[in-house]
Amino acid sequence: MMAPFFKYGLFGESLSLVVAFLVGIGFGFFLERAGFGSSRKLAAQFYFTDMTVFKVMFTAIVTAMLGVYYLSVFGLMDLSLVYLTPTYLAPQIVGGLILGAGFVVGGYCPGTACVGVATGRIDALVLFVGIFAGIFGFGELYPLVSGFYASTDMGQLTLPQVTGLPYGLLVFAVVLMALGGFAGAEWVEKRMAARKAGV
Amino acid sequence: MPDIVRNLSLNGRLAAIAFVLGFVALFAGSPYTGAGATVNTKELSIAMATGADQVGVTTLADWIIQGKADFRVVDVRPEAAYAEYHLPPAENIPVAGLAQSSLQRNEKVILYAEDGARAAQAWMLLRAKGYKGVYILRGGLEAWKDSVLFPRIPENPTPAQVVEFARAREVSKFFGGTPQAGDAAEAQAVVMPKLAMPSSPATGAAGVTKKKKKEGC
Repeated sequence: MMAPFFKYGLFGESLSLVVAFLVGIGFGFFLERAGFGSSRKLAAQFYFTDMTVFKVMFTAIVTAMLGVYYLSVFGLMDLSLVYLTPTYLAPQIVGGLILGAGFVVGGYCPGTACVGVATGRIDALVLFVGIFAGIFGFGELYPLVSGFYASTDMGQLTLPQVTGLPYGLLVFAVVLMALGGFAGAEWVEKRMAARKAGV
Repeated sequence: MPDIVRNLSLNGRLAAIAFVLGFVALFAGSPYTGAGATVNTKELSIAMATGADQVGVTTLADWIIQGKADFRVVDVRPEAAYAEYHLPPAENIPVAGLAQSSLQRNEKVILYAEDGARAAQAWMLLRAKGYKGVYILRGGLEAWKDSVLFPRIPENPTPAQVVEFARAREVSKFFGGTPQAGDAAEAQAVVMPKLAMPSSPATGAAGVTKKKKKEGC
C-alpha cells in the first residue's frame, strides 16, 4: 500500500475525519507531554531561558523530513501527492507577524491553546475565545483584504525548486542546521541560567 | 558497543542518527518517483470484463442535467479538437499531460475522446498510476452525438421506443442538439451545437468541477 493513504483511496472522506481525530489526539498528547500546555513554558522561549519550543519544533521538522524522504526513496510513498501550503509571500509575512505578536502577548499559539484548554487552563481558554473572535473578525473584513490576501501567489514551493540544489543535499543541510540550532539553543539556555544565577 | 556511543546521552544518540540519515541522503537521490508504475492486471481485467470501467452517454447526460458535481469530465483529445466542440462540463487534459494534471486519485473521473480507443489508453495510464475512480465514456464523442445530440427514432417504433425518443428529444434540446425525426425526407441538418453552456443552473453547478480543497492547518 502506498502513502499518502487518503489520496490513494484507502479510506473515504468520512473515515478520514476519524483518522484526523486520532492524529489530532496524538498531536495534542505530545504537545502536552512536551510541556506546551503551560504558557509560562512557551513564553520562556521569548526570554531565551527555555528553548524547548524551538527544540521540539525543529525535532519535529527533522523527523518528518527524514521520514518522508526515506519513505519516498524506498518507494512507499508518493511525495508528489503530499499537499503543500501554497506560498503567498506578502500576506504570509503579515500573517506570521500577527500570529507571532499574539503568541508573545497571549503565551500560546493556536495548537497549544487547545492543549491548554484541554488541561483546564483559564489563560488558554481566554486565548481560545480570542482566536474565534479573530476568525470572525477576519471573515467579516474579508471583502476589504481579499485583494491583499491573494497577492504574491508563488504556488506550492519547495526548497529544491527555489534553490535548484539536489534534494538529498538540502536534507543534509537542514539536518546540519537543526543540529547546530540544538547546540546553539543549549548554549543560550546555559548562558541565561548563569546570568540569572549571577544576578 | 564502543565507548564513544555508550557515553552519549539519548539526545546525543538521536542527533547522531539524524546526522547519519542526513549524510546518507546526500547520495540517496531524489525522492520523487519517476514515470514508472505497476498495474494489478487481475483487478483491471475484471473491471474491463464487467463493464465497470465505463459510463454510458445517456447516463452522463442525465448526471449533467441533474447538476451532479461529484465527478470530473476530461476530454483527452488535442486542444484544437477540444476548442471545436466538447461536452459542456469537460476540461481538456491531452493524454501526454495526464500524469502532471490536477486530477486526484480519489476523484471520479470520466474520460472521453473521439471514440473509445484513445480514452481507453488514458484510462489504462491513470489506473496504472493508482487512480481508482476512472471511467471511460462508452463510445466516446461519436456515441454522444448519436444518442444525446442527434437522437434518431427507429422505424416502426414500439410505444416504449416512442416514449424513450420523447425523452431523448428533451435531453438533446438541453445540450443544443437536433433530434432527428424518423423520416429521411425531413431529416434535419446535423449542426454541431455552439460551445455556449446550456443556460441552466444545473449545468452551472456541474461546470464548477474544480473543488478547491482546503488542506493543512
